[in-house]
Parts: sequence; structure tokens; C-alpha cells
Amino acid sequence: MTSIDVHALTKEYGGRRAVDQLTFTVRPGRVTGFLGPNGAGKSTTMRLVLGLDRPTSGSATIGGRPYATLREPLRHVGALLDAEAAHGSRTGRDHLRALAVSNRIPQRRADEVLEETGLALVARRRVKTYSLGMRRRLGMAAALLGDPEVVMLDEPSNGLDPEGIVWIRGLLRRLAGEGRTILVSSHLMNETASFADHLVVLGRGRLLADTPMREFIDARVRPRVRIRTTDATGLRTVLGRHGYDAVEHEEGHWSVDHARVDDIGRLASGAGVPILELAAEEGTLEQAYLELTGSEAEYTAQRQEA
Amino acid sequence: MEFTPVLHSEWLKIRTLRSLVAGLCAVPAAVVLFSALAGLDSDGPDFDPLFSVFFGVSFGQIAAIAFATSAVAAEFRGGALRATLAAVPRRGRWFAAKAVAIAVPVLVVGLVTGGVALAVGTAALGTEADGLTVGEELRGAVGCALYLTLMALLAAGLTAVLRSGVATLSILIPFLLIVSFVIGDMSGSVADVLPDRAGQMILHDTGEGLLGPWSGLAVTALWAGVALGAGAWSVRRRDA
Repeated sequence: MTSIDVHALTKEYGGRRAVDQLTFTVRPGRVTGFLGPNGAGKSTTMRLVLGLDRPTSGSATIGGRPYATLREPLRHVGALLDAEAAHGSRTGRDHLRALAVSNRIPQRRADEVLEETGLALVARRRVKTYSLGMRRRLGMAAALLGDPEVVMLDEPSNGLDPEGIVWIRGLLRRLAGEGRTILVSSHLMNETASFADHLVVLGRGRLLADTPMREFIDARVRPRVRIRTTDATGLRTVLGRHGYDAVEHEEGHWSVDHARVDDIGRLASGAGVPILELAAEEGTLEQAYLELTGSEAEYTAQRQEA
Repeated sequence: MEFTPVLHSEWLKIRTLRSLVAGLCAVPAAVVLFSALAGLDSDGPDFDPLFSVFFGVSFGQIAAIAFATSAVAAEFRGGALRATLAAVPRRGRWFAAKAVAIAVPVLVVGLVTGGVALAVGTAALGTEADGLTVGEELRGAVGCALYLTLMALLAAGLTAVLRSGVATLSILIPFLLIVSFVIGDMSGSVADVLPDRAGQMILHDTGEGLLGPWSGLAVTALWAGVALGAGAWSVRRRDA
């Protein structure tokens, strides 16, 4: 199986560090979300992995080999970087055929990926007539052309319509399920939360987190239970007795911090408190991310003062 | 990576852009048209029948240069070069394939152009062309093809250095149309070793100045080689 290994990777542009001593591994069989604000170094890292930019120091390898040494790289790695990569005056099909030929990929693959990305009907139209979403799909088609075991996508849902976003989500899940290595950058939290298993988070070119998504959220956002009852006094008493602090909200429901539904449900039922609604309010990726970047900002601010 | 698939890919990229195919077709059109016009006006003391037959090459080269420039410049638009180099990470090999994919069609079109220009140009000259030997005529026709190819390669190399078609054409076209025409009459000077002046010696009947037909073409080849070398260096060294 093929992993992407980034080791102590650093890239400077005129003294400014776009990527700073970055080390992480993207493993097969799961979707790794690559998060960070714009300018955090996500795209630069992807270009470095693809050998398009030269690192100042450090290394990036795919299956242990630098990208530039792969014999027919499209058969191993598929990447979506820019939506504008295809020449406007060429047809979508010809764009894919030219890429396929260079890596000795059979021509029928061009038609297959056009079908798969929903572009079969416009395959023989010039790219300049395509919408932004269709260009993204053509970029996806190019990435899938060589049936690669590693797929790297930079902001794939940019410009896609809702249907396209759902399609990307399903596609990423399927590719990971087939045991491929998937790295998807995004600055959209809810979007990433819908497909990622694992997260690599960057801030100002540095690694902030490299953890499974669930752990990332649970470690930063306290779990909370939402509850509605007809017996407010009874609920407060039984929860208070077990050390929980219930807060009443204006809409008539209660929320209990640091609690799990299993525990609260059992307690309420044991005390005979009638329950109308009981739900876990899971932390969102967005909350966890803001928590992380918030503390990161404080950290850097303090360091500068000192 | 093997060279042949990369070359095939680059040829496919040229073939599938209508503007490039049109640029290639403009080469014989311009050469033949202007050669025919030149043949109708054959007076003057320093009349050179061979150069009259291939007079249109000065105009046809603009089309050849525009073709080569657009073919390379297309890679520097948007993220095209990234997609290309992700598919072919051996950059030197890729650039070599690009150069061959430009040179071969220009050479083929140039040979056809040379043949047609020869037929049309001598017909337009009528009896004035009688002084030309078969050897001179062949040298002119083949030289026309080689000269156009070298100028196209010069433009291709320069475009890779400048990473812009507009920049390349705004240097080359004024250079060919103005500089060369203005100082072109001053033979025996540095003007003789300019790429276009030197190479066009192959199209002249009477050699004057320090370069002969083939040595002149060799000087143009040197210019093209330097441009290609600089282009390859730039492609290999810089971030895509």
C-alpha cells in the first residue's frame, strides 16, 4: 500500500516560510482532510509532494520514492490542483487524451473517467464553454485517469453545485474504501467533516494536528446533552445529585455539559423523570478547529511579546 | 519515462488546438503569396533571383514563430504546466519532446512551402529565373524549411525563458520587422550574424558579407540552440 510521507519539509519564498518543518504521513484506506486557513501552506505542500516546486529542505515521497522518479506517475498518483489547467480551446476529451498518452494509459480511460465524472455529454465541447463546476469535474477526471492508488485534491468542491458536492463526498468515500490513499485540502469545515476520517491541520506552514477526526473534535469540544422534560424540578434534582449542571434555555429545553446521553438517559429514567427529547450535541469540526487555531493564535502572540 | 509517449502527447496537444493548426497553415500561405508578389517586381541593380523566389520567407517566418510561441506559451497559462509536469516529471525530456513536436511539423510544412514557393516564384519571375541552377533551387527550398524550423525553435526556447507568449512575440516581431530591415542593408557588420540575416543567406544567390549559405544557417542554428538551452534550463530549474 502506498503512503505519502512528508518529512521535515520546508519551503521558503524570498525568506518567508510557506511550509515550515512539516512532518506527517497520509495513510491508505482513509480520507485525510488537509485543513488550514488560506495561505497556511496546503497547496504549497501538495506542489512539493508532486515535485512541481523544489523544497528548501526536507523531503516528500510517495510509497518511499520522490514523485519525479515515478516511471508513469499518473498510474500511481492523481492530483487536482487548478481548475484552469486545461486549455480553453481544446475539448475536454482531447485534454484527457493528451495526458493519458504521455503515461501510456489506454485511450478508453479518457471516455471512462468522462462518464464517471458526468462529463460524457460535453466531452467533445471546448473547455472554455464549461462552467466552473464542469472544469472541476474535468480536473477530477484527470486525477482519476490512471486509476491511481494515491489521490490528492486541492479544494475539489470549489465551484461545484450541491449535487456535485454530494458526488465528490461519495466518490472520496468509495476511493478510500478501495484502499487508496486520499488527501483532500479544504478550508470548509462542514464540508471536510462530511468525508474525512483523519485530519492534518496546518497553520502558517506548521503542523498543528495530525489525528483521527473524531479524536480531534472530542479532545477540543466538550460533549453536551440536549434534553426536554415536563418535570423541570425533578430533572434538576436528579442531575444535581450526580454532579451534572443543567442549564435551562429559553426555548424550553435544557443542556447538560460534559455529559453523554447514555448516562443522562439512565439517570432520568431511574428517577422517573419524563423525557420528551434526549439528544447528544456532538461537537462540530468547526468548533474544534476554531478552538485549536484560537489557542494557536494566543500562543504565537505570547511568544512575540516574550 | 520513455520519450515516444511524451512526444506523442505533445504532438496531440498541438494537433488539437485549432489556432496552432491555423498558424502552421499560414506559413505556406504567407511565403507563397509574398514570393509571387516579389516575382512580379524584379527590377533593380542588386536583383537576386533566388531571394526573389523565397522573398516570402521573411513573412512566413512570422507565422512559424507565432506557431512555436503559442505552442509553448499555452503551457504557461493557468495551471497548465503543473498538469503537464505532474504527468511528465522529467522536465528535460518533456521540453525536448515539446521542441521536437514543434520542429517536425514546421520542417514538413517548410519543405512543402519551399517546393510550392519555388514553383510559384520561378513562374512569376519567368525568364529572369533562368539563371538559377537546380542545385541553387534545391538549396533554397530545403534551406527555406530549415530556416523556418530554426526560427520556430528559437521562438520556442525564448518563450520557455520568458514564460509568456506576449513577451516573446513583442520582442521577436519588432526585431524581425524593424531592426533587421533597418540595419539589414548594412552588410559586413554585426547585422550579418543576427539570427534572421545569417540564416537567410541560404536563400541568396550571390553571397556577400562574411557568411556563406550554410555557415549562415549554422549561425542561426547556434542562436536556436542557445535559446533552447536557456529554455530547458529555465524549465528544469524553476518552480512550476
